[in-house]
Amino acid sequence: MTSVETQTGTAEAGPGSGISYSPDELMTVVMAREIRNDDLAVTGASSLVPVAACLLAQQLHAPDMTLILPSGVVNPRPGRLYRSASDGRWVTGAEAVGTGYDLFEMSENGRLSVMFYGGVQLDRHGNVNLHGTGYRDGRPSFRGPGLANTSFAVVSGRIILFSAHHTRRTFVDRVEFLTAAGHLDGGDSRARAGITTDGPVCCITPLVTFGLDDGAMTVRSIHPGVDPETVIDRTGFALPTAPPWPVTAGPTPDELDVLRRVVDPTGELAR
Amino acid sequence: MTRSPSRPPDAAARRTSKLVSLSEAAALVTPGSFVAVGGLWFQNNPSALVREVVRRGPGELTIVAAPPSSYAVDLLIGSGLVRTAYVAHVSFDHLGLAPNHRRAGETGTVDLVDCDEATVLGGLMATLEALPHHPVTSIAGTDLTRTSPLAAPRDVDGRGPVPAPPAMRPDVCLLHAQEADEYGNVRNLGTPFCDPLLAKASRTVVVTVDRIVTNDEIRSAPHRTVLPGYLVDAVVEAPYGAHPCASQGHYVHDEEQLRAYLHAGRTAETWRSEYLEPRVLGVAEGPDYLAAVGGAQRIDGLEESVR
Repeated sequence: MTSVETQTGTAEAGPGSGISYSPDELMTVVMAREIRNDDLAVTGASSLVPVAACLLAQQLHAPDMTLILPSGVVNPRPGRLYRSASDGRWVTGAEAVGTGYDLFEMSENGRLSVMFYGGVQLDRHGNVNLHGTGYRDGRPSFRGPGLANTSFAVVSGRIILFSAHHTRRTFVDRVEFLTAAGHLDGGDSRARAGITTDGPVCCITPLVTFGLDDGAMTVRSIHPGVDPETVIDRTGFALPTAPPWPVTAGPTPDELDVLRRVVDPTGELAR
Repeated sequence: MTRSPSRPPDAAARRTSKLVSLSEAAALVTPGSFVAVGGLWFQNNPSALVREVVRRGPGELTIVAAPPSSYAVDLLIGSGLVRTAYVAHVSFDHLGLAPNHRRAGETGTVDLVDCDEATVLGGLMATLEALPHHPVTSIAGTDLTRTSPLAAPRDVDGRGPVPAPPAMRPDVCLLHAQEADEYGNVRNLGTPFCDPLLAKASRTVVVTVDRIVTNDEIRSAPHRTVLPGYLVDAVVEAPYGAHPCASQGHYVHDEEQLRAYLHAGRTAETWRSEYLEPRVLGVAEGPDYLAAVGGAQRIDGLEESVR
């Protein structure tokens, strides 16, 4: 059963659980569990799930964590989710409004402990491509949006990767353009490049959570109700371990209640 | 005995107003200019000003924008006026890719220089610091170090080769903000993001605002002035001047018009016939433009519908 990635947006939890939730709600809850109380997190474009995950974590187990939106808005609390990262309504009720200079300061000095990246391509070593695919003579047949801040991949304490699309087109063996540094060639190549931070620690998709403990994506857990064959079919590189994999703990009633009542009362993630 | 009031008598010498018309402001962009475009994603795009530049048609432009940019940059690229673009990320955020930026990258019609925040802001900051280059140490391991001229390694202070973007000094900076007085004291009600940096790095700064306020109002809350007048050369009163993007406290971004833009952008030809002609070249800025996009009242009501 793979209904977790259907267009209708409703997934069934494990048999008999009686709880249903959308793929975005599941990814949000799973990602929120990765957020720590002492984190300073920065989000990027098209990042409703990471923003919601941080706001949920602040409500549940990480009240001290700081969230900064890519527009420089610090600790927003708008009482609902807005779909655009730059929506001005995130400002209302926030604690501060920084500038591009504040983000540049972090680009060079670090300070942030979590950055979230999605990608046109994500590869087995957690490298991110947002520039292009199908290069011939240096020109892409598909030009991506590019990335505002690649530095955060180097200076952020750790990186959480995510993708709403778990397909062979997205999850590739090797990115065609390395926009943001994951574990580069795997092993200790990140450290050998002089990068001292942890890099990608996990990648959350509608089907699985990948871990990157050895610098390569390994299925840490498969989401409730997902067929392992679907994961294998939709991943463009050979998975290091074979099923059965551990099953992701689905959202608890408490997690879903806080998510829907406090973070996302207008149901943007349920759509 | 009471002291004299804090407000001095009106000066005999009259201070010079920086108010100009939109077309006068747009004329500051001349062929071959290096233009800084303000805003980020759907906030504070100098949309009306950029449309007016496109109507005038100065070509061979070089542009730089905040690391996340959107409509105004894509419109300039689509108009065919841009030769070189220093842009890190251009998209319509959750609505989709920027069609003209994408096409330019795929066809090679514009030199899209691979950038990111550190390289763009580093280049602008070098200008502020009066340095030839600004080293950035944090883009290690990426292909930017291989492909981007901004990231070309240089030996800086004997630290060995590090990417060091050269100083960028735009000729003209185009910004949109919410309020200013006629002397160029500008207020942002939301995030100013990179706009102050772009302004300080540029030779000439033009700001459109939704509302002109009095100098007394500026003086009533000086800490709210984001760009003091000495940084600003020209001010244009342009209500709804950021449309179809947002202006904090005035109107939210117009997803219906932005989606129409994206739909028009499916090919270069349809973008020209369905957007550039009817929304830019074939309509005057101001009431005519507003009427063409459904009227001011519709834009005022968008806050209810835009999620």
